[in-house]
Amino acid sequence: MVYRFKIPQDRIGVMIGKQGEVLKILEERGKVRIEVESGSGEVTIFDEDSTDTYLSYRMRDVLKAIGRGFSPENALRLLEDEMYYEEYDIRDHVGRSGKRIQQVRSRLIGTDGKTRRLIEELTDCMLSIKGNTVAIIGDLEGLKVATKAVTMILSGSEHSTVYTFMERKRKDLKISRWGF
Amino acid sequence: MSEKWGICHIYASYNNILVTLTDLTGAETIAKCTGGMVVKAAKDEASPFAAMRAGEVIAEKAREKGMTNIHIKVRAPGGNGPSSPGPGAQGVIRSLSRAGLRIGRIEDVTPVPHDGTKPKGGKRGRRV
Repeated sequence: MVYRFKIPQDRIGVMIGKQGEVLKILEERGKVRIEVESGSGEVTIFDEDSTDTYLSYRMRDVLKAIGRGFSPENALRLLEDEMYYEEYDIRDHVGRSGKRIQQVRSRLIGTDGKTRRLIEELTDCMLSIKGNTVAIIGDLEGLKVATKAVTMILSGSEHSTVYTFMERKRKDLKISRWGF
Repeated sequence: MSEKWGICHIYASYNNILVTLTDLTGAETIAKCTGGMVVKAAKDEASPFAAMRAGEVIAEKAREKGMTNIHIKVRAPGGNGPSSPGPGAQGVIRSLSRAGLRIGRIEDVTPVPHDGTKPKGGKRGRRV
């Protein structure tokens, strides 16, 4: 099975690393062969030699996550059990105006990254805001809450409303994770 | 024939998740299971938990029929709707591989418009 997609030019360097060491680690962990065309940003994953096709399917998410601004270390956490990756387009909520997208992006990040940090800490997810997209890595319950929080901000809720929402959900998260 | 192959079609939308196990031609259905069949609450139909349960049911049926290897075709609603098959689809694949089925190819068959119809919501978007 071959997976082919594009990642942004400025993330290609991160994916390859110095002398290709990051790419080598990625290939080892995913038991796949990865080909990168640095001119166009096209990435191709080959898994002919692999027996674990589900692993290479998840490898696709890992590379996409790197393309969406996550560090390779964080993206590789997707190979763990119960970790999921989701990508949301800001334009679905606020239209195509570049100015508006920039405004909303800064609302998501907050002063000195406060909002992003709070979403990450309260839901145990990882957030990456780049260009027109918001990408989230996290477990099931966390992802659900984080998604809701992000959509609330995107559709214009006040920050304090979102914080209270997450605080309220924190109790449920605890219960579903550790069972008390 | 020592190895029996089948295709597992997974359709993961926001509201439900449909899993259909067919033979290689795709014309003969061997088993099917949906999110709604394994959970009671309507809001959980699309949850990854329902997906895992559905996957287990399918794996069970596959084993009964002696099917050991499967290809997977996942799809999201596509068209002008959401085009990435989220956690639900992954839940099914995970539980299938945990149940000991060997997984061949995993293919994304979400229909992609070559610029199709206008998304719902009208010119001025969704007004809440």
